Amino acid sequence: MRERLSFYIPRQSPVHRLNPLTKILITFTIIIMAFFSPWYWTAPLLIVFVIFPMSVIAKVGREFLFAAARLLPVVGFIFVMQALFLPGGRTILWQFGFLKVTLENLMAAFLVAMRIFTMVSSFILFLLTTHPSELMSDLTRRKLPSTFSYVIISTLQIIPQMQAKANTIISAQRSRGMDTQGSFTKRIGALFPLVGPLVFGSLVEVEERAIAIEARGFSSTLPKTSLHEIPDTRLDRSIRWLMLILILGTFASKLWLS
Amino acid sequence: MAVLKLHNITYQYPLTETPVLKNINLEVQEGEFLAVIGPNGAGKSTLCYTISGFVPHFYKGELNGTVEIAGVETHESSLSQWVVNAGLVFQNPFNQISGAKYTVYEEIAFGLENTGVPREEMRERVDRAMALTGITDLSERSPYSLSGGQQQRVALTSILVMEPKILVLDEPTSQMDPIGSREVLKVIKTLSERGMTVVMVEHKMEWIASFADRVIALYEGEILLEGTPEEVLTSPELAIRGFGISRYTQVARQAGPLGLWPPDQRLPITLDEAVDGFSRSQP
Repeated sequence: MRERLSFYIPRQSPVHRLNPLTKILITFTIIIMAFFSPWYWTAPLLIVFVIFPMSVIAKVGREFLFAAARLLPVVGFIFVMQALFLPGGRTILWQFGFLKVTLENLMAAFLVAMRIFTMVSSFILFLLTTHPSELMSDLTRRKLPSTFSYVIISTLQIIPQMQAKANTIISAQRSRGMDTQGSFTKRIGALFPLVGPLVFGSLVEVEERAIAIEARGFSSTLPKTSLHEIPDTRLDRSIRWLMLILILGTFASKLWLS
Repeated sequence: MAVLKLHNITYQYPLTETPVLKNINLEVQEGEFLAVIGPNGAGKSTLCYTISGFVPHFYKGELNGTVEIAGVETHESSLSQWVVNAGLVFQNPFNQISGAKYTVYEEIAFGLENTGVPREEMRERVDRAMALTGITDLSERSPYSLSGGQQQRVALTSILVMEPKILVLDEPTSQMDPIGSREVLKVIKTLSERGMTVVMVEHKMEWIASFADRVIALYEGEILLEGTPEEVLTSPELAIRGFGISRYTQVARQAGPLGLWPPDQRLPITLDEAVDGFSRSQP
């Protein structure tokens, strides 16, 4: 059983050492540039010259490629659908009945696919190099409500536990002769006896968990401290300024050119 | 000196008809080990919640009377301030893991982060608490990868690190296998020997006999019996009211009329006492 739902891979790298807020800002800057840059080739160039090299610098190149490869079918599907079904376009390249592919639509579909790939892959890179609890303690330190960060982090940890529990319930019901395999409708039918115990069981647990964290001063109004010191260097601050400038620049050029 | 005082406590949960606790008066001395026994629904857990401030701060409802620890009453304090007075550990170790932390060390530091303890002091206190409960070697493990007994010791350590004046334990071993229970009980015994004030709900009579300074038997929200473990645990009243009692006590009680248990001998609670008594009754 997986103990937690996290993509984080602990490595010693310059990217890992960056402040989590810096990394999230880099991620958003990449996404904003990919979506709002007026220049057609921005997204593919970002992928080739920024995201991939960054994954190598972060020493997670192999893991990143693996995740990106699993993304390709989705992106490919989006590309095909867009290319086939976008309305308009004049330069017909290929036609079969009501299906036709035009050069304009092909280019538009490529743009959309690349933008989506940029968005998801830059998020993957962020998740691979940032420990979720580090991100949350850093954001809490920057005045994010601690309840909010608690909900995010504990959900990440509790989902695998819920999966394990669901498996236990399925095994228990199967051992009493319930048919959970076979046709699609059979499987759907088998879901109901699973959902009841899982959901109600979890609701009971919520109360106990609330007591457990209250017993450890969760609702304290004193300023919270953090066990780990999270780095925030001059480099981080410079990068964040640079990212803000890039974001503003992207929007400005978009406005300027339209 | 009494560190914990319950004065005329009557409490009723919201949306219920009858009170769960009725007119409870109780004093616990500093360093004392008080065991609480009682059948299901006797109000044991509610008593634990009342001492640790969850009644009235978490569970609303109607509370009369006062709970006082070291001169401060629960209603004068907030729940998060009360953690330094009473720390609560309960049955299910899994539900006591915060879920917000990835290692045992971080898990134990969680409460100190919440209450704003500086980093240096935090590390010192976590190290000290982990050494005390013997879980230092688990510090880098994920809390979810541990056995029940280990998880419960982590839960206990996370409460201890808050340095409460009183440790409230609500059946801490009831969901554990025998090995897990022994691990947890050993730690509790050590803490008590080091002067910790403990209030513990427990079903295992033999453990109570070897741990507790005093026992109260709760029945339908009232204190039915109060006294030393020997007095309370061998009382005939317990069997009549459906309390779980030690099997050694049961055997000796039935052996009495048959002349197999010496009439001048107090009824046994533990195996050793039973062996001792039965060997004396043999010609």
